[in-house]
Amino acid sequence: MILIHCPYCDDTRPELEFAYAGEAHIARPLDPSALSDADWERYLFIRANPKGRHNERWRHVHGCGRFFNAVRDTVTDKFELTYKAGEPRK
Amino acid sequence: MSDLATRTAPVPAEPAEFPGVSISLSPPLARWSLRARDPAALAKAIGHMVPGKIGESAGGMLCLGPDEWLLRLPEGATVPMGEGLPLSVVDISERAVTLVLEGPRAIEVLSSGCPRDLSKFAVGYGSRTIYETVEIVLVRKGEERWSVDVWRSFAPWLWTGLTTAASHLR
Amino acid sequence: MSAYRISGLGRVAEAAAVNFTFDGKRYQGRAGDSLASALLANGVLLMGRSFKYHRPRGLLGAGAEEPNALISVDRGGGRFTPNLRATAIELYEGLDARSQNRWPSLQNDLGAINDRLGRFFPAGFYNKTFMWPRSFWEKLYEPAIRRMAGLGDAPTDADPDVYDACYAHCDVLIVGAGPAGIDAALAASASKKKVILIDEQDELGGGALADPTLWPWLAESLKDLAKLTNVTLLPRTTAFGYYHDNFIGAVERLTEHLPDPGHGAREKLWRIRAGEVVLAQGAIERPLVFAGNDVPGVMLASAARTYLNRFGVAVGRNVALMATHDSGWRDAFALARAGVRIAAIVDLRETVDAVLLAEAAELGVRVELGSAVIGVAGRHAVEGIEIARADGSARQQLDCDAVLMAGGWTPSVHLWSHSLGKLEWSEDWGAYLPGKANENVRCLGACGGKWSFGSGVYVGQLPTPKNPATIKAFVDFQNDVTAKDIALAIREGMKSVEHIKRYTTNGMATDQGKTSNLNALQLASAALDRPVQAIGLTTFRPPYTPQTFGALAGHAKDALFQPTRKTPIDPWAEAQGAVFEPVAQWRRARYFPKAGEDMHAAVARECLAVRQSVGIFDASTLGKIEVVGPDAAEFLNRMYTNPWKGLEPGRCRYGLLLREDGFITDDGVSARLAPDRFHLTTTTGGAARVLNMMEDYLQTEWPDLNVWLTSTTEQWAVIAVQGPKAREVIAPLVSGIDLSGDAFPHMAVREGTICGVPTRLFRVSFTGELGFEINVPSAYGRHVWEAVWQAGQAHGIIPYGTETMHVLRAEKGFIIVGQDTDGTVTPYDAGLDWAVGKKKADFVGKRSLARPDIVANGRKQLVGLLTDDPAEVLVEGAQIVEDPNQPIPMKMIGHVTSSYWSASLGRSIAMALVAGGFDRMGDTLHVPMPGRTITAKVVKPMFYDAEGSRLNV
Repeated sequence: MILIHCPYCDDTRPELEFAYAGEAHIARPLDPSALSDADWERYLFIRANPKGRHNERWRHVHGCGRFFNAVRDTVTDKFELTYKAGEPRK
Repeated sequence: MSDLATRTAPVPAEPAEFPGVSISLSPPLARWSLRARDPAALAKAIGHMVPGKIGESAGGMLCLGPDEWLLRLPEGATVPMGEGLPLSVVDISERAVTLVLEGPRAIEVLSSGCPRDLSKFAVGYGSRTIYETVEIVLVRKGEERWSVDVWRSFAPWLWTGLTTAASHLR
Repeated sequence: MSAYRISGLGRVAEAAAVNFTFDGKRYQGRAGDSLASALLANGVLLMGRSFKYHRPRGLLGAGAEEPNALISVDRGGGRFTPNLRATAIELYEGLDARSQNRWPSLQNDLGAINDRLGRFFPAGFYNKTFMWPRSFWEKLYEPAIRRMAGLGDAPTDADPDVYDACYAHCDVLIVGAGPAGIDAALAASASKKKVILIDEQDELGGGALADPTLWPWLAESLKDLAKLTNVTLLPRTTAFGYYHDNFIGAVERLTEHLPDPGHGAREKLWRIRAGEVVLAQGAIERPLVFAGNDVPGVMLASAARTYLNRFGVAVGRNVALMATHDSGWRDAFALARAGVRIAAIVDLRETVDAVLLAEAAELGVRVELGSAVIGVAGRHAVEGIEIARADGSARQQLDCDAVLMAGGWTPSVHLWSHSLGKLEWSEDWGAYLPGKANENVRCLGACGGKWSFGSGVYVGQLPTPKNPATIKAFVDFQNDVTAKDIALAIREGMKSVEHIKRYTTNGMATDQGKTSNLNALQLASAALDRPVQAIGLTTFRPPYTPQTFGALAGHAKDALFQPTRKTPIDPWAEAQGAVFEPVAQWRRARYFPKAGEDMHAAVARECLAVRQSVGIFDASTLGKIEVVGPDAAEFLNRMYTNPWKGLEPGRCRYGLLLREDGFITDDGVSARLAPDRFHLTTTTGGAARVLNMMEDYLQTEWPDLNVWLTSTTEQWAVIAVQGPKAREVIAPLVSGIDLSGDAFPHMAVREGTICGVPTRLFRVSFTGELGFEINVPSAYGRHVWEAVWQAGQAHGIIPYGTETMHVLRAEKGFIIVGQDTDGTVTPYDAGLDWAVGKKKADFVGKRSLARPDIVANGRKQLVGLLTDDPAEVLVEGAQIVEDPNQPIPMKMIGHVTSSYWSASLGRSIAMALVAGGFDRMGDTLHVPMPGRTITAKVVKPMFYDAEGSRLNV
């Protein structure tokens, strides 16, 4: 069970308090109707799935309830850092 | 509405006593979920102190998240509902029940299923967390006194879990 | 007292006698004995039969590594545990221990025929032999193999025991309480750190327990440790796994050693988070590979010293040593000093340390250097050995009754490997040692390569003049893998250790190759003529030793397996004899049978009662979310397909929620209580998912909106009162609300009181009848329910359950998300176009509704089905075809999603997802069932009161 630092609580908590929420920095288009089918498909379905450094989202669901972003290495499972939702990609 | 005869509770009214710890159901409480971006605006709207740091509590008010507080007051208390203001006051008095664990070994009973290091909870500190698979709000009310808020339908399971753990104390 | 006990020796010398049985025969041991030492003391060498060849086996070791002596313990009353190691079973009065994998008895085992047929069971024989025909596998090969090859029997009864569990946190966790671990604990405690010291044995001390010179130090140290309040000592506790971020799983055995286990927890699962982990797990001696190295009486030299010094038991009276390493010599000397005759010390090395030779001379022990054991006489016990020079010359026979093997030491790096720490090859040890750490962890003592056992040479197999194809020299004792199996695997093309392991099963037994991995590597290295490091190393994975499922489950057993959520009204339903069904984590009343009624009869009666008079239904499990803030309507407008901004306070609306891919994910009726306050409802199973989805959009897509979401599912008990008499039933109980049809129309909400309790009263209907849903604070739900129940008596009120609810809504064509939809159904597919706000520029899922696949023809659409035979009730999930006479496999065009007997209509009704269904109205389709085909006509999914006249009253 990994430990995760919640950037809102500024505290490191057991994984059991968190839920994974997919790749980070995939913003919903402001006007989806303006997107081509191909662009909409890219937004909906296409994910980076990297081997290594991955920007991803977690939710401190059994804590402060906030979604936040993290950089985790998908090979070692180690977190590099976590940061608040809305902050630029790190 | 405060007529006790019309209320039902999901766990026994009688405390469960074990060497070093007792587990009991708190009397009914009034509870609100309070949400706002600005703690000061919330404090002004409801006329209560609002702790600003996650985990802090004051005057029955516990800060659970950056924009979330749990207010627990004696049954019958009221707060303004903040109509039209950029905040949210929701009555959740009966959503949860509060279990109280008291005694030198209460911390061991809670640690049977809570993955947090409870020795690091200062008196007055509280947090939403988890006991095995069930979400709780845990507050250290005193050195040897803890309150556990749990949603009503999970309360029987938690009661069984905590009393079973207490029965295993050696 | 017994044949092999040496008086005055061992830590159990003065201990009380303990009676036990092995395979039904009575024996006596001493308190503090393991089953292994007690059996040895009684001269019992034969303790098991091997996995594949059913060869007689005795003890190889004295600790966790034991591969041979696997034992079943029966404590009665369903407490049966197979596959325990005799070395890890503490003796207690009345212990009932049994050998395994033998029939009819351990002495005369018919399965031993496999040993003589051994040449038919080479490595990989499963893969080669049982390939064809395929059908034989299930019926013949697998059952036969299972009978012949295997471990102990699985328990047949439910486990009556309970298990404890806990989380623990410490600054320093030390695994292994030998000299290194104890020193580390004392050092860490001095700096006021919180320390946990765990050890798998019943007594702390590890290797020191077998070294009387260390006993005074051990006693002093343990006394010091016991005084420290910041040190937790956990004997009888096995650290079985090392997980991310210094999280260690351990099992403490609480009652396994007690004559009466009582009713307390049997074992306790410790989930430990440590700042630093110190591994002090020691090392395991390596056996040597030679013909007959598995005859009972051939064992590790260090094990013999443990039996002697700790338990006061000699493993034989005339003992030979086969060594390639110095440490075995000292073990032999210890035996000699205790009065055991040493038949000979045979060492493969031409030269050894002069100190050892001098001591052997002093003790009068015969030494054969540059030589090896090439055979062992005896089948159930050692009777002698044959030795030869390394070049095969000078063959001679020696009498002895036990053979010790000293092949060097393998540091126990299991937990280190779990933690993903790197390993580095050490020529000195002929083994892998911990290298670069992946966690905050260090290794002390022998497991870190920081202990001196002396020096040695490391060989895969001892030299022998015999034809290697004719001898059985074991590498993996538990899985019966021999040196020639490894050679065969390599001949057949396996070059990586991962392949050799899987082909031969070496290291794949319950001991994970604790005594076999390195010998297999050495053999492969020699055969491939490549250095050991080039062969690779298999990965150790948890558990370090086998653990019970009960311990791993911890609390999650029986009543605590998982929460069963119950509503405040559940006890009433139970008292009424309701039959329940699980819905998500909830249990819900499915129907309320009267005496003699089956489900069909009860549901038919309940349905008619609701249509004709009135029924009461517990809808408390519905998910509820309170949406509050100035932007509440804007937020809902973005989330749901429907428009929300124009909804007036006091009114309700059916809401349809899509995922961004355009498919229906949830629905529910929601009410606007005030301009900035909505009361949402969700499906029972969707409550948490919907709240999470909404929080996601709110927090990360539209953080500028001033609106907040609060789950109120459990704040409210919900009592649905449905039927033409519903208003009359509740009217006397309600205050502050005008219930008349004009003042309180269908799809409206009012706040007032009922029975003096504040209520949010919804006028809504999932039945098609006049109906109300009474929301009251949960604690008062039971009280109000009973008051409504009493008030309804005059109107013939009946309670109904989820099954009747399903029939009534199907009669009206209302969908159940997750039953009539499956994650690929759009609002258009479900015929819910009317719920999609056409003028809205955007909502979650809107863009996807214009994707090419979604607007294409031929999508499955939700339709009604009426069987030609009105008495025929289709099976839900049944497949639908156009032409029943087409050849199999038929082209399936859809399936039945809901199907019921409608008592109100006197016939069956069904809903189905059918390709192009909307264009098939009036068509006849076919539902093939075993032995027959059912025909049904496609209709609109609306079977009852299509004009809705019963609602608006």
